[in-house]
Amino acid sequence: MKTRRIFVLVAAFSLLAMPGIVPAQTAAKPKLLASAIQIAMVEAGDIQIPAEFRFAVYERLVERLRASGAFQKVYRTGDKAADGVTDLVTLHTKVQGFTEGSQTKRELTTVFGATKVDVDASVTGRDGRVLMDQKITGRVRFFGENLGVTNDLAKRITKLVGATF
Amino acid sequence: MKLTATLMIAMSAAGFAPAQTSTTAAPGTPTAANLNARLVIGLDPIKRNATGQLTIQDNALDFKSGKEENKLTISSIDDIFIGTETTQSGGKKGTAVKTAAMAAPYGSGRALSLMMRTKVDILTVSYHDPDGAVHGAIFALPIGQAEQMRAQLIQAGAHATLSEEKASARSKP
Repeated sequence: MKTRRIFVLVAAFSLLAMPGIVPAQTAAKPKLLASAIQIAMVEAGDIQIPAEFRFAVYERLVERLRASGAFQKVYRTGDKAADGVTDLVTLHTKVQGFTEGSQTKRELTTVFGATKVDVDASVTGRDGRVLMDQKITGRVRFFGENLGVTNDLAKRITKLVGATF
Repeated sequence: MKLTATLMIAMSAAGFAPAQTSTTAAPGTPTAANLNARLVIGLDPIKRNATGQLTIQDNALDFKSGKEENKLTISSIDDIFIGTETTQSGGKKGTAVKTAAMAAPYGSGRALSLMMRTKVDILTVSYHDPDGAVHGAIFALPIGQAEQMRAQLIQAGAHATLSEEKASARSKP
């Protein structure tokens, strides 16, 4: 009898707590709307990073964002076709740090030799308003050539942009 | 004893000599104007990591891989960069062999990593399409060939803003 009362009380409290849980689940940030995105060239600033890394990140971003389907159109920087798109957003990637590792060290030690690129990825609207801004790090830890870091970075940036739009 | 040692050194030197010179002056090796290259990324519709022939002809940089081909007109080239990268030799077979070797006891398979190394030149060509969109084609070339290719592209009329000192960007093995 006593056990049944406890059970009823617990069930009642659970039901009372439900409304508190439900808003927390639905409080996910609403996605922003944009039909097209333009990928700006990766900026290096004062950071010494070989050109092939900058171009590889740019190319992989174009490739991955097209494949993600988050936008109807993905434009490259300088594309005149993007001029007439009203709800165009622009993805800017600025390198904040670059550590070039060694593939040999990575494969021999599995601890040393990681290649790392830190970037500041931001998306701005036509009016220049910042819609998304986040620091992201791309790494290649074990296998693969140093340029593989560009794939990891593009994957992370695409995931982030996909979650925002 | 001394004679044997001298002979061994001489034979070793003879064995190494052709390997050292094969990339520079041996007859029959591809010239910078027509050489085997691997497309790292950036030349639609050719797939990434496709190997093919990179040539300069008819005022264009031509990359042909199997049935697919892409020609970049020299006038569309905005900049050319060169660098180096250490990569694994043997292509897909090499990857399979190395992955299998990783299972070898006491990490002995890792020694294979040292043997399956090859250094390549990286040639990055920044160009624009007729709409003005910027592209970057990245090629891996045999070591020592990127600089020649860059020089020939500049000679053919391609733009290149980077100085020679900056162009020799290095990457660690």
